[in-house]
Amino acid sequence: MATVLMSGIRKEFGSTVALSDFTLEIESGELICLLGPSGCGKTTALRVLAGFEKPDAGTVIVGGEDITSLPTAKRNFGMVFQEYSLFPNMTGRANVEFALKLRKAGSAERKETVDRLLTITGLTEHADKFPHQMSGGQRQRVALARALASQPRVLLLDEPLSALDAKVRDSLREEIRRVQREVGVTTLFVTHDQHEALAIADRVGVMSNGRLEQLDPPRALYERPASAFVAGFVGTVNRLPAEPEGDRWRVLNRSVSAQATMQGAHLAVIRPEQLMIDPDASGDATVTEVTFLGPLTRVVVKSSGQSLIADLLTSEFGGVNVGDQVRVRLRDDVTDVVLIEA
Amino acid sequence: MGIVVKVLRAIFLVLLGLFFFVPLLAMARFAFQSVPVVLLTPEKLLEGWSISGLIEVFGNPEFQRAALISLQLMVLSILITLVLLLPVAALVEIRAPQFRTAMAAITLLPWVVPPIALVVGVAATFRNTVPWFLASPYSLVPFYVLWALPFSYRALDAGLRSIGARTLYEAARVMGASTFTIIVRVIVPNMVGAIIAASVLTAALVLGEFAFAALLLKETLPTFMAEFQRSEPRAGMALALAVMLLTALIIWIGVRALRKRGMDLQAAGV
Repeated sequence: MATVLMSGIRKEFGSTVALSDFTLEIESGELICLLGPSGCGKTTALRVLAGFEKPDAGTVIVGGEDITSLPTAKRNFGMVFQEYSLFPNMTGRANVEFALKLRKAGSAERKETVDRLLTITGLTEHADKFPHQMSGGQRQRVALARALASQPRVLLLDEPLSALDAKVRDSLREEIRRVQREVGVTTLFVTHDQHEALAIADRVGVMSNGRLEQLDPPRALYERPASAFVAGFVGTVNRLPAEPEGDRWRVLNRSVSAQATMQGAHLAVIRPEQLMIDPDASGDATVTEVTFLGPLTRVVVKSSGQSLIADLLTSEFGGVNVGDQVRVRLRDDVTDVVLIEA
Repeated sequence: MGIVVKVLRAIFLVLLGLFFFVPLLAMARFAFQSVPVVLLTPEKLLEGWSISGLIEVFGNPEFQRAALISLQLMVLSILITLVLLLPVAALVEIRAPQFRTAMAAITLLPWVVPPIALVVGVAATFRNTVPWFLASPYSLVPFYVLWALPFSYRALDAGLRSIGARTLYEAARVMGASTFTIIVRVIVPNMVGAIIAASVLTAALVLGEFAFAALLLKETLPTFMAEFQRSEPRAGMALALAVMLLTALIIWIGVRALRKRGMDLQAAGV
């Protein structure tokens, strides 16, 4: 277990800047997700930490040791890849054991470790199958067991669930979280899937253009996005004009409190579940879409040229139809909002 | 499928079969029927077949020498191809993928340069520096390795790509394996199919190669056959058929070995 500190990392590929002044601190035993659109630099950050890419500037420190120029093979990390990366000529057990053989572990120790990991990952009865005889989920479990075999200082997960179908993905996600807690290994998980990141991480780092935009626990990230980019990337948002009113702000004709740190015009970030739709023939909004989502009903309205999305509890949904005139307001329990620069 | 398509397909297959089979049959009759050529009429199809001519060739010490040389050249060419090319192809794939396009172009070069130019150029160079090199029949091996490159490199490259060599390399690297260990214990064991394909292709090329051997005045199986054909046309034809069968057999064994491993020739890049 070790803390990770990547600071001031810069990495360019030709004329593309993949990482610029990237700084990330991971506490011992913590699971951090790097989340972002493709090309945001999240995979490069992971590969720099793994040692596959050498940063142009900056340092990587793990457990107090500067490993910036230490070769990958000497870092004692574990890694699970997006593509299936098991060695096809070895059984599941042999794959897990390979890492231990490389470290010249004794055969009793190898057997003990392999058995323990196969039990933790629930693979005991599939251990003697070859990779091509396993399902995608089983392969990734073996890959996880293999990554943990040498008691790595850091575990790296590079979109390990992307190649799996939705159902397996959800259960394996929980599995990874459970195993990670059980082993207590410091973990960096890279994904483009916000649900995955929010569900699994202790803290989520949202990246764009080679920088970390915000690093916060999932809930804080959702409720207090630090920038327009984060607000737009994590969950769905409406951006509504906010007018200053003394030390408070006026949004949709309601006075709310907010912390404005910036100068100039502001927009309030309002989540769909914070809006309420009232049928009102003299309302200034028109319903353009109604979608039943089970517990929620999503209503899209057009108000002064802007589309707004509202998620209503189906039990509270008044039954408006496409084309109806309605009035949009904040729900009563919304008393403070997040502001971003317009 | 419609009846018309079925009939058309049958006609096409029969024509194609005739196209290949009739010349072979003519060759076989000429080679193995001890009947004067002008009397090789359809009525005498079953008369006087004998393989004594072929057996006589097999006893010919000159033939034995030439065949032995060719087999040695085949084995050496395969070995050198694998020993040199496999690590190069693997390293390009896992360490320097940016050179892959360049490698694909370079490995096609041997076929852009005509054998005569290659031989004249190489011979002129070696005659002035290491004259003993060209004296030995084994001096053909480097030419054959080069000559087979367009096929052997592609077979190995396709094999590397189909096993996802780069990811396997990175996975093993994180575990602490050295590049050597990775190639020997991870890459090669998973490339048996591609290795078989590259070997079979090299073997087939070496057993049939005439131009280099003739230009360098070496006696290999093909040059012996060309010479022999002139003095003994019938036995020469018999030998040609036998060698053709042998090459077909080698390819068939290779394909079977690939099938057994659940691969087809396409997956091996052939």
